[in-house]
Amino acid sequence: MKTKRYDMIVIGAGPAGLSAAIEAARQGVRPIVFDENARPGGQLFKQIHKFFGSKEHRAKVRGLKIGEELLAEAEKYGVEVMLDAAVIGLYPEKEITVKIDDTVRHYKGDTILVATGAAENMVHFKGWTLPGVIGAGAAQTMMNLHHIQPGKRVFMLGSGNVGLVVGFQLLQAGCEVVGLADAAPHVGGYGVHAAKIARCGVPFYLSHTVIEAVGTEYVTGVTIGQVGPDMRVIPGTEKYFDADTICLAVGLSPMSQLLKQAGCAMEDTKGGPVPLCAADGKTSISGIYAAGDVSGIEEASSAMIKGRMSGAAIAAYLGYADEKIQEERIFELGQQLGTLRQGMFSPENRGKLITKTDEGIGVSMHLLEHGSVADDEIARYPGVTRQAGIHPVIECTQNIPCNPCQDACPKGCIRIGEKITSLPAVDAAKECVGCGMCVASCSGQAIFLIQEDVGPGVGEVTIPYEFLPLPRAGDTGTALGRDGRPVCTATVVKVRSSPAFDHTNLLTIKVPNDMLMKVRFYQTQKGGMGL
Amino acid sequence: MIDIQERLRQIGPLDGAPDDDLLVCRCEEITKGEIRRAIHQGMFTIEELRRYLRCGMGLCQGQTCGRLVKNIVAAELGVSPTEITSATARAPMRPIEMAVLADDGGAAHG
Repeated sequence: MKTKRYDMIVIGAGPAGLSAAIEAARQGVRPIVFDENARPGGQLFKQIHKFFGSKEHRAKVRGLKIGEELLAEAEKYGVEVMLDAAVIGLYPEKEITVKIDDTVRHYKGDTILVATGAAENMVHFKGWTLPGVIGAGAAQTMMNLHHIQPGKRVFMLGSGNVGLVVGFQLLQAGCEVVGLADAAPHVGGYGVHAAKIARCGVPFYLSHTVIEAVGTEYVTGVTIGQVGPDMRVIPGTEKYFDADTICLAVGLSPMSQLLKQAGCAMEDTKGGPVPLCAADGKTSISGIYAAGDVSGIEEASSAMIKGRMSGAAIAAYLGYADEKIQEERIFELGQQLGTLRQGMFSPENRGKLITKTDEGIGVSMHLLEHGSVADDEIARYPGVTRQAGIHPVIECTQNIPCNPCQDACPKGCIRIGEKITSLPAVDAAKECVGCGMCVASCSGQAIFLIQEDVGPGVGEVTIPYEFLPLPRAGDTGTALGRDGRPVCTATVVKVRSSPAFDHTNLLTIKVPNDMLMKVRFYQTQKGGMGL
Repeated sequence: MIDIQERLRQIGPLDGAPDDDLLVCRCEEITKGEIRRAIHQGMFTIEELRRYLRCGMGLCQGQTCGRLVKNIVAAELGVSPTEITSATARAPMRPIEMAVLADDGGAAHG
């Protein structure tokens, strides 16, 4: 039996694993990365939305683009990636068994990094085994990798970022999202993600859960009901929807079994068993590391930084790099990670209801309960000003770690400041030229351009628009409010697309002046884009 | 260590629940009722339930139902799911044909 030896074995070619391999390879380590899938990149290639964060976190870059960059970097540094290679065992002496083709191969590493990610959680209700009940990850795979609609009429369960982001992607794929429910009383994910789908007309049902997937051969409908504080359905609150797909986005569990098998010290958390590890991913077994979601569920941006930290630590452990220098590198990466963990959605705030922003402004309860900020709540945020000429209106109402809008404005109209989680403020003293760079730069699609009095009694609203086919100048349609309800009719003035906007199109519509602060979406007359 | 007799007395007799016919482990087709009954027979750990009922022993190796089973056990015993010991992790971690597993090292392929 032959055993191949490597300095560093990485299990999982997702954002964490690839980042770790690249970071170590830069110091001369020759890593090998195994992945059970046919394609590398983990979930990155399904993530067609723009990421949050700051420049150093590659904010406003789409996940799939980040995936391409990572693969190119891996190739540049000579990282070996083995695909269709499922690691089936990890032993404490740092040996792994891998299923490749029809054989079991043995590899031994001086170090092993486990970056196996996470698996989706399921919930069980009557009919949950019917075809048509799918995970949000499956929906993403079908849409974004294979270009197949998961269904025509979809009901989404889960208001975390996964449910909200996939909900929006379903709309982009032309599906109808008939509703979104969560047993929690408040939206769990970013308000800006919720607002994106609420303004398309998706109704939110907080404090609701799925009672039954209806159908005999496959899903034909869904019954939901309101839950009380004891999480039991309140009789008489049942609601039925025609649907062919029920999409579950009810959290992720770390796939930590390999670490457990190796004998690493584990901790049973609410999210599932995770290895006890240091900031650089070092587990209780010398030479075995863990990075990314397997060591605790976070976003892909965090996974990439955690991977880099492990890669840097491994390079030092193996003697390829100076320990002092690597320590500094890990410290610097730790600072970047710390930035991403700030704000209302930080790990320590998980599950807490926050009613005031850092600036002392009340958080929109309408946003938390219905997915959209109410018309009478929006004026209190610093990104919302009223000016004579064209100007941005920034409907960013929660402290999240994200600041591309500040750098996007060539005129300095937008200010977030040093603290990345601060709400963006619009400086009315600086002159907006209406270039739209801020609109396209906002990963939350929360920036609009408003101009009053372009004609007698009418003004223009410019909205970020990521649906096809694009409306054309001169089209008329319905202007929708933040809650997705029709507000008035609107005429398309222009549609701007540019490589600098990275597939976010800027749609300018003409509406009466008094509707400018109400209108936030445009629906083509024939109900295109599945709306 | 849990005193099984003491705990069985505490959790009381098994009542029928309206969702007892719900499939929980879809690979091995184990229902919620079967799992609840096994718990009332004294199977308090995931490992015991796996051996007794085969829930979580099928194609997905408990990837789908592992957490659900844990929650059912926790609910029956009236404890937090984190107090329920997870299943032992052992190779092979993925479903694999016996012929492949037997060809360890690829000797048959040279």
